[in-house]
Amino acid sequence: MNARERSIAPVRSHLMDRRAFLGNMGTALSSIALADLLSNDRLLAASPAIDPARPFAARTPHFTPKAKNVLVIFCAGAVSQLETWDYKPELIKHDGMPLKGGPAVTFQGPAGELARPQYGFRPRGQTGKMVSDMIPHLAELTDDIAFVHSLTSKSNTHGPAENFLSTGFVLDGFPSLGSWLTYALGSECDDLPAYVAIPDPRGVPQAGSNNWGPGFLPAAFQGTPFSAKEPVRHLSAPGISAEADRAARELLARMNERHLAEHEGESRLAARIASYELAARMQLSVPEVSDLSSEPAHILKLYGADDASNSTKAAFARNCILARRLIEKGVRFVQLFNGAYASGGELNWDGHNKLKEQYDKHAAILDQPVAGLIIDLKQRGLLKDTLVVWCTEFGRMPMFQKGSKGRDHNPDGFTSWFTGAGIKPGVSHGITDELGQKAVQDVHPLYDFNATILHLLGLDHEQLTFEHNGIQRRLTNVEGKVIREVLA
Amino acid sequence: MLGQVARKDSRWIFFTMSAIENDRARSYLSRGALAPMQAFMHRYSTPCRMLLVIAAVALLAEGVSANPIDFVKDVRPIFEKHCYACHSASKQKSGFRLDVKSEAFKGGDAYAPSIIPGKAKESPLVHFIAGTESDLLMPPAGEKLTGEEIAIISRWIDEGASWPDGVDRISIKDRRDHWSFKPISKPIIPEVMQVEWPRHDLDRFILAKLEKEGLRPAPEAERATWFRRVSFDLTGLPPTPEQMREFLDDRRAEAYEVAVDRLLDSPHYGERWAQHWLDVVRYADTHGFEVNTERPNAWPYRDYVIDALNRDTPYDQFIREQIIGDSLKQDAATGFLVTASVLLPGQIGADEPSKRLARQDSLDEIVVNIGQSFLGLSIGCARCHDHKFDPITQRDYYSMQAFVAGVEYADRDVYSPEAEALRRQAELLKPRLAQIEQELALLEPKAKSGVERMPVNPRQNNDRIGPLKANKVRFTINATNNLEPCIDELEVFNSRGENVALVSNGTKVRSSGDTTVADRHELRFVNDGQYGNSRSWMSNEQGRGWIELEFPKEEEITRIVWGRDRLAEYSDRLAIDYLIELASNSSDWTAVADSSDRRKFDPNASASAEFSMAGLPPEEARLAMDLFAERKSIEEKVKKASAGQLAFAGKFRQPDVIRVLSRGDPEQPKDEVRPTTLTLFNPKELPSDVPELDRRRALAEWIVSEENPLTARVMANRIWQGHFGTGLVETANDFGNNGSAPTHPELLDWLANELVRGNWSLKAMHRTIVLSATYRQSTQIDREAFAKDSDDRLFWRYPLRRLDAEIIRDSMLMVAGELNPKMGGAGFDLFNQRGGLSGFSPIEVPEGEGRRRMIYAHKVRRERDAVFGAFDCPDGGQSAERRRESTTPIQALNLLNSRFTLAESAAFAARVKGEVGHLPDDQIRRCYEIALNRSPTAQELEESRPVIEKHGLESLCRVLFNSNEFLFWP
Repeated sequence: MNARERSIAPVRSHLMDRRAFLGNMGTALSSIALADLLSNDRLLAASPAIDPARPFAARTPHFTPKAKNVLVIFCAGAVSQLETWDYKPELIKHDGMPLKGGPAVTFQGPAGELARPQYGFRPRGQTGKMVSDMIPHLAELTDDIAFVHSLTSKSNTHGPAENFLSTGFVLDGFPSLGSWLTYALGSECDDLPAYVAIPDPRGVPQAGSNNWGPGFLPAAFQGTPFSAKEPVRHLSAPGISAEADRAARELLARMNERHLAEHEGESRLAARIASYELAARMQLSVPEVSDLSSEPAHILKLYGADDASNSTKAAFARNCILARRLIEKGVRFVQLFNGAYASGGELNWDGHNKLKEQYDKHAAILDQPVAGLIIDLKQRGLLKDTLVVWCTEFGRMPMFQKGSKGRDHNPDGFTSWFTGAGIKPGVSHGITDELGQKAVQDVHPLYDFNATILHLLGLDHEQLTFEHNGIQRRLTNVEGKVIREVLA
Repeated sequence: MLGQVARKDSRWIFFTMSAIENDRARSYLSRGALAPMQAFMHRYSTPCRMLLVIAAVALLAEGVSANPIDFVKDVRPIFEKHCYACHSASKQKSGFRLDVKSEAFKGGDAYAPSIIPGKAKESPLVHFIAGTESDLLMPPAGEKLTGEEIAIISRWIDEGASWPDGVDRISIKDRRDHWSFKPISKPIIPEVMQVEWPRHDLDRFILAKLEKEGLRPAPEAERATWFRRVSFDLTGLPPTPEQMREFLDDRRAEAYEVAVDRLLDSPHYGERWAQHWLDVVRYADTHGFEVNTERPNAWPYRDYVIDALNRDTPYDQFIREQIIGDSLKQDAATGFLVTASVLLPGQIGADEPSKRLARQDSLDEIVVNIGQSFLGLSIGCARCHDHKFDPITQRDYYSMQAFVAGVEYADRDVYSPEAEALRRQAELLKPRLAQIEQELALLEPKAKSGVERMPVNPRQNNDRIGPLKANKVRFTINATNNLEPCIDELEVFNSRGENVALVSNGTKVRSSGDTTVADRHELRFVNDGQYGNSRSWMSNEQGRGWIELEFPKEEEITRIVWGRDRLAEYSDRLAIDYLIELASNSSDWTAVADSSDRRKFDPNASASAEFSMAGLPPEEARLAMDLFAERKSIEEKVKKASAGQLAFAGKFRQPDVIRVLSRGDPEQPKDEVRPTTLTLFNPKELPSDVPELDRRRALAEWIVSEENPLTARVMANRIWQGHFGTGLVETANDFGNNGSAPTHPELLDWLANELVRGNWSLKAMHRTIVLSATYRQSTQIDREAFAKDSDDRLFWRYPLRRLDAEIIRDSMLMVAGELNPKMGGAGFDLFNQRGGLSGFSPIEVPEGEGRRRMIYAHKVRRERDAVFGAFDCPDGGQSAERRRESTTPIQALNLLNSRFTLAESAAFAARVKGEVGHLPDDQIRRCYEIALNRSPTAQELEESRPVIEKHGLESLCRVLFNSNEFLFWP
């Protein structure tokens, strides 16, 4: 049978039964207006045009943006919504009771009894939002924050879930949010990387560099990882004097110029020459931005960077100051990590066993430095143009695990929040059930969360695409709705 | 009255039933909570409301009727206003579009047809817009249709839904009517005007197109340029100055051909071209995902690819080997099936849905890999819904899964001549082992001899007797150290030292009763010649049981040997009180040995204390010691030889039952599917009981069959892309409707035919291409051509590109004289660890193994090499159909300042000094010859001299490594 013969449509019954429906769908019957699609398709037209000589040149978004840059505070290991932002008085009442109709087995094994929030909650600020005592400094900022309490993830496993949060796919190999933004918008700053990822002093999260990787986008758009502690690699050549270095660069420049003259009009060659010039500027500007010695004592104190009793907190606070300095310089996307990889909850928020004990430690590291960072951004007027995002890959169960004092993974309802440019302050959007297990109202898969971030940067998440293996890929796959309720 | 309508018109009932078939409702039906009829009753109140609206609408429609409704004037504007945002060219939510006549009348995924001419109130469309089912109200957001608009549409349908032909703004195309799905044509070699230019038929296709566009090909590249280019291209390395000299001096007509043959014969060829393939199949040496642990036995697949290319394995065979290599003595080749990231068992959630999802994800990766690598089709797109662009249904997708549903991500023993030789060697050692056992046994006291014997031990016990004639032996257990007794092997030796108990000797076995655990504890395992707990017999009684062996003929028995677990893992279930009896045709059962003359069993004694030299004369004790030492050494050899080589090449088992999964969700299984090839081409369906291997075989044969128009085209295009950086089809992994159209369709078909005609030889195709006039062009820009075709898709010159990361690193090492040519085997380290989550610190200065070619690096998924990763190295996450090329300041910093560059600059300088001595001009000349295959100009000499005099020769070497001339294709 040839293709033509098979394209004859079978007679369709009025209402097909499911079996017939499954059997017939697609195949020969369906068809598309391909040519029309390609010419009309705004998805193809809206992708940014990259000048290879200036891949980081600032580019125009789809519409007027509310924010020019983004700071993402990424808490790795899955912060419990129940110990932080999602107040559940019913859970206190049900402490020690089984969860009726709940799962017998969760990610790690058998489920135990419901467990009350491990910290007290009290009303904060003008809104009276109930926030936990675990994070007293951050709690003071709730009037400025828009919470989304009803997020869901597609995976309950850290690595894939971090991929999903950062790239919109649970699989490895997709571009990160920051790479998408850099690809779309370039940079406002011409002597620093457009996209910086600041790893936690304790290590990198589970999905590692996937969180700032370019996936299949050009490598130019990947995040450059460095922190207050670990500088950018290869900034200078060890053992080479400044004079020798200059002589070599000059010789190289002359060689390349002559080569370019023989290949007149080759933008790739010109781009490479330009990249060496930018590299030379970075050699000066990166150490400068990473040098915190000019920060006054009151600033160090605001962030807790002077806390001699807690060296991890002080180191994380220094990363927070670095984040502010990068934003100040116009770096488009800064990703600040809090927490490292799975470690029995010792190095990140993965509180399976001794949640309270471990969260006491982690909260002390997170709380003051991040609160200090937000206050500092605000007092410098940077929050007007900067969107601040606080996020985590999923939430935790209202029960303790059987035989432990910790909570298992829960991708069905958890909290992240926004503040800063374009955000309506003092909002709590979305609701989980009375025990905080599942999002029940205004449920938002993380697609929506990412679509909202793009929207605030002036980008339509459905228009921002890149062709890979024959598919116009998006950060939000084929999903995503902007969460309008949190927009100013 | 409304109730009457509902009762009268049975179609209503069907319609409401179908309305129940939305996902939510379907779930309670499938749970069986309610019978379908009850479900209907449950929702009966809603249809009542619905009918009210419809009736009202119908009345209204009648009221306004005068002239018939006109589709273009009256109806389409309403569709446009309310529906096209989701149901037209850009989106077809629920598979429904309303902008094209044929599609609109066909209906959507769940409600088809949606418009029933003449019957508005039976048309689902009307129900959607009228909102008779609140959760199906359309449009779901935004302005609803007004009563008048609903009335217009209802009347239009009632009047016959006249939709004139030719009014649609869009014409639609049959998705199967696509160039790559059609048989490969036999194109006519085009006529050209510039007849002296083509060297080959291939060139005529290129030239004809250029001439049509009014363009000229670039001038031929200089000999040296071509030779440097083709060396990078075929081996990934630049020529040495000596190879260059030899080529330039070879003035024979066939010099180019000779050079190409030499390069194709080099083992470096496989090392270069395997990288292209490994990019596509996203090869890596870690498991990726959750903890990215090491995949220590992935490399045999990488070596297989290199070797297969070097042997010029025909491409059809290359495909077969990667799918059914286990049946073709190419075990490592099936590593192809399991190259993807995977969650290991411990990383998957303990709950069943997590496990089902992980299994589905891992099967998906196999289908995706097969689809894009061999067929250039994004079959994986049909996992959750029918393919949006290609004629691939969701059912097609799951039918493809069924071919590979028996594949597990795991290590497998591989066949290799070396491993086989070792195994044969081990076999030769085994008789000596048996002999040693016998000799040792002879040093033990006989049973019932009055001498106290060793206590029983879990590993092995000897009972020497006789010799006595018998054709039956019974071993009776009266007590164990605990639980039901277990015996891994019962051996009976005759006076010739043969184990006559073996089933292969024809011996029959029976027992008092068995605890059977399939493939672990079975009665037949007690005399199968295999040791260990997993090949053992277990009684069905606590502490008791017996085994009886009957030989085919009478034997002269000297020894009975038995154990609980010769592999020394288990020491429970040990017989501590036993009795051995013999019988023959002529005599009744006679006790010949028991545990009464053994020392009492000590549970704390070492399990390996199977032999005691206590009481032996010194000479015999020494002999025993020697025998023990020899036995140990042989056992180690045997163990090592039989361990063999493992490859992460998948394990094969009974295939899972595969069902269509609604929305790709493993918790929503639908119909079972059989292994079936794509319905797009004449589909072949296998019965559901076809064994695992035969499924994969059928798949492989379908892929390579001549009827499949994709396979040869896709590979011909990949080869072209390998040589020019871009294929004739730019989307090498997607030949579907959404992929790029070929720039030279006839040439692509011609190449595909050549590939098949040349017995699928890749090397033959390389030879044709690199000797062509097209390939021999220079990179020179022609302004006119550049203005028309800046991307060089018409091949009016050889495209200027940056070298790949691997070529840069390998070339630096080679130029520095440090390249380690070792091929194959486990990868060398780029980092201080071979897997894991974080904390990867790069090994900054390579030494020894680290100076091997980069394809032999232990590739940690998503952790790119600290220096060369920034040069667009794929990270092993998703398939890289071709290398993207980006330019970043990070690349510049890495190549200027890394310790790698500094170390190789120093080595390069030392090499040159060693070769030409201390004169700066000699050094500069040599540096240029080695790094760039040319001599420096006077100006270059002039400029370099002061730099090396002041800052050393390594300074010039560092500059050369960073120069555009070094980093770009010549």
